[in-house]
Amino acid sequence: MHPLLPHITDHLTDIFGSLGYFIPEVYLGLLFLVVMITDVLFGKKSTSLCRTVACAGLLVVLFKDLQQVGITLNAQHFIFSNMLLLSPAAVWFKLVIDLLAFILLLYFTWDKKLASHKKGLSDLYTITIASIFGLHLMVMAVNLLSIYLAIEMVSIASYLMVAYRSENAFSTEAGLKYVLFGAASSAIMLYGISLLYGFGGSLDIVLQSTVTELLKVNPLSSFFAILLILVGIGFKLSFVPVHFWVPDVYQGAPTPVTAYLSTLPKIAAFALLVNFLPPFILLGKGTGFDLGILLSVAGIISMIAGNFAAVMQSNVKRMLAYSSIGHTGFALMAVVTFNQQGLSALTYYLLVYALANIGALVLATYFSNVADAEDMDGYKGLGLKYPVAAVCFTIIMISLTGLPVSAGFTGKVFVFSAVYGIYQQTHSIWLMLLMATGALTTVVSLFYYIKIPLNLFLKRAENQDIVYVKSYNSVILAVIISFALILLGVFPDFVLKYL
Amino acid sequence: MNILTLLIFIPVLFGFIIMLLPSSMRNSFKYITLAATLIQLGIAIWIYLNFKTGANYGGINHEDQFQFVQKIPWIGLNLGSLGKMQIDYFVGIDGISITLLVMTSLVMVIATLASWEIKSNLKGFFLLFLLLDMAVIGVFCALDFFLFYMFYELMLLPLYFLIGMWGGARREYAAIKFFLYTLFGSVFMLLVMVGLYLSVTDPVTGSHTFNIVQMMNPANYSAGSVFSLASHQTILGMPARTVGFVVLFIAFAIKVPVVPLHTWLPDAHVEAPTPVSIILAGILLKIGGYGIIRICIGIFPEVATAHAFWLGLLGVISILYGAFNALAQRDLKRMIAYSSVSHMGFVLLGIASQTAEGISGAVMQMVSHGFLSTMLFFLVGVIYNRVHDRDIYHFRGLGTLMPKYTAFVMIAFFASLGLPGFSAFVAEAFTLAGVFKSHTDNGLLPYWMAICGTVGILLGAAYFLWTLQRMFFGQESLKGGSVWKIALTDINLREKLTLAPLAIIALALGIMPSLVFDKINDSVLTLIQFLHLK
Repeated sequence: MHPLLPHITDHLTDIFGSLGYFIPEVYLGLLFLVVMITDVLFGKKSTSLCRTVACAGLLVVLFKDLQQVGITLNAQHFIFSNMLLLSPAAVWFKLVIDLLAFILLLYFTWDKKLASHKKGLSDLYTITIASIFGLHLMVMAVNLLSIYLAIEMVSIASYLMVAYRSENAFSTEAGLKYVLFGAASSAIMLYGISLLYGFGGSLDIVLQSTVTELLKVNPLSSFFAILLILVGIGFKLSFVPVHFWVPDVYQGAPTPVTAYLSTLPKIAAFALLVNFLPPFILLGKGTGFDLGILLSVAGIISMIAGNFAAVMQSNVKRMLAYSSIGHTGFALMAVVTFNQQGLSALTYYLLVYALANIGALVLATYFSNVADAEDMDGYKGLGLKYPVAAVCFTIIMISLTGLPVSAGFTGKVFVFSAVYGIYQQTHSIWLMLLMATGALTTVVSLFYYIKIPLNLFLKRAENQDIVYVKSYNSVILAVIISFALILLGVFPDFVLKYL
Repeated sequence: MNILTLLIFIPVLFGFIIMLLPSSMRNSFKYITLAATLIQLGIAIWIYLNFKTGANYGGINHEDQFQFVQKIPWIGLNLGSLGKMQIDYFVGIDGISITLLVMTSLVMVIATLASWEIKSNLKGFFLLFLLLDMAVIGVFCALDFFLFYMFYELMLLPLYFLIGMWGGARREYAAIKFFLYTLFGSVFMLLVMVGLYLSVTDPVTGSHTFNIVQMMNPANYSAGSVFSLASHQTILGMPARTVGFVVLFIAFAIKVPVVPLHTWLPDAHVEAPTPVSIILAGILLKIGGYGIIRICIGIFPEVATAHAFWLGLLGVISILYGAFNALAQRDLKRMIAYSSVSHMGFVLLGIASQTAEGISGAVMQMVSHGFLSTMLFFLVGVIYNRVHDRDIYHFRGLGTLMPKYTAFVMIAFFASLGLPGFSAFVAEAFTLAGVFKSHTDNGLLPYWMAICGTVGILLGAAYFLWTLQRMFFGQESLKGGSVWKIALTDINLREKLTLAPLAIIALALGIMPSLVFDKINDSVLTLIQFLHLK
């Protein structure tokens, strides 16, 4: 052990110096407290107040994120003794996450089933803000300890959210499943971390010495440890083979929570993966174990399994769950490029995927509210009764499929060109297989995504005498999202030139 | 304002008007659409009249020889180590596009007139119709691959809904089949497109470009890139450029459609409402042929030459297989759909010959078939609207019942089967002349292909004349009896006004093929010269 006393001043200056790069998170922490206190002070009736506070607070955080763009313009900063890394990519990921979180916070109360919870939704806002804090940490974590803490923080918040309102046995089961699988995967990951710590002698993965030490270990054991950690991250990303929880949980959870689960933790986990991988890629070059191939295989299988399984679904949320597995596989394609262009493509792809997915779930909520439709069959003939919502749903589905003119298409093109660029240099067969699978599964995905417009417009309603209800909030949001998706489809520069 | 841009986006402008109008004014939508298409036709004719010809306006692989060009930077991104990405809004036309453009504009007017039969969801129908209109015009004008692809894919969704919502009994099946088929071709085209753009740099700006014209120049490919002519790369063990050609060819061959990728066509054509059948047969199929000329052959000329025999063979198979199938059909619309497969086979055969005659014939065939298939489908629509039946054996002796209608049918049938004096004769004669010449000139296609093509024409005469005999001649005898007899009134003024210009054009192009050949000749010669450089 080193004597601690002489280092205290150094540590303190480091911590105070780091705080300057930690402003958005500080604000998030404060916001968490404020929302919680509001909840406690005003009791059951505080839902709308908590919502206002949370949304306003998040806008401030977004503003603070924006200020960080300037700080990271030319440099990246290691803060809190190499626990966190504030890189330009991290700032962009935080911006994306906060923007989407803001939409989600607005959206929670629009879901009738969730809003009818007798305890009110105030707690949900508190939990969400806490999870956003965790997501911020995930995006920046570069130390095994901070990685684990961040993931756990998000996990615990998600467990609470999934089980927030269990209306039937199915959703209770989903909540329990999620906790059990989540806990198991955390344990596996922790085991991997402890092994890696033992092999490398440090929790700091950016440190050169960790890699040098790891090179001395039997590659099989060091890669076993890395694999275990990837299981933990993969659980959040939900790629095959750690995807099995996704369909049940997505279907069982309240729809806004599904929207949360399918987007924010996924984006943060991708950011984490991008930070986590580089040292081990280096390690792989030394030992001959190629993580790129491993991820490519996972990507290919995820695309195939997710998309083909989605074809058979009839429940809208379950279909979106499987399709989100497919999207994870596609995004993994951008990860295996391991370069800056791939990272920009990844960020853009995730942003447009998340926007579209949230839009789709908002509309799923809408149709569940107005026509009590959960399955595709329930959507029959609704297109002519709710033309605006149905047209938006079609646009969103087009974007998720990746057809022009939509943001989903430009996202796909940028991912393809990032991968192609690397393919030209390496001629790796895996990259070609990834791209071919990506193209093929696009066709497969059309098959199930088009089912929604098909039922909305092409089929005739069987039951004519349902009382139809009107609702505006979700439609307005859906219109904005659809508009944004088309706009980004025509002018992707608006976002991409910054990434 | 560039005239081509105006031509492309006028439908959208009118679409906005329709979108903003309340549904209570639904009866005006068809007139608004008609106005849009008429203005478009006016512009197209103006462009046609002002289109300059001469050796300096060949186009194809000379960017400066395209006319009515507009080029605006659209998406420009820094890709770090890969250089810069350059996507332009780049439209322009040469001889290959101009005639197709005029044909498209006229077919659109006809399709609008055929839309009078649509009674439900008028707003949705005309909005999708105008969106489709924009996309097809855009495809013929785009010279940037990215832009081309955007328009190309943008056609799919409106068509899906147009077939799926207003179609016949099996509309859902037909719509999704069409959509999946075409998408299957085009997603792989996307991969080739991305590969091409990363291989090609613009000599002026030095950045990666989607410019189709620049992609035709082998000097623009950076060394070591996937599709570079010099570096002989492979993809999964096969030569990269061959793979690229085959992928693009399959994408367009689905559109043409070439046997055995044609199975979507009979379903889509039969289930679609008349205006959509007209657009499908009149315009969409030509996009396949146009794509093969402009993109497949333009970008991978040496592969096209090396595999010309197989292209020709596919063309011959399409001609014969389509004709035999047409002979066997009971459903009039299905019969015409298969005759389209057969006629479009000539386009592929002409292109494969790589002679001036063959390619001129192919373009002529596209234009001529555009007008004739429009006429044929409109004629089927006339009878179907009256009695909701189109089984050939359910009608007999229509000649005495509907004499004017029969006159137009006879013109359309005789023109389609290649009677001298009509456009299809010129087109098929040139195509076959090209194939015969190809044997001696460049040795690409054997004689027997030309002979098979001739047999195809013979079969065409057989199924058209046989249908004429079965439905229109003889004693009057209808399946629906006297109810049908009352329903089957002769064509009205709107229908006459629609059919007359088509008949006149079919005749005019047959007598004065120079209307087309004068405009396309320079481009065809440039293309031949370009192909033989390799």
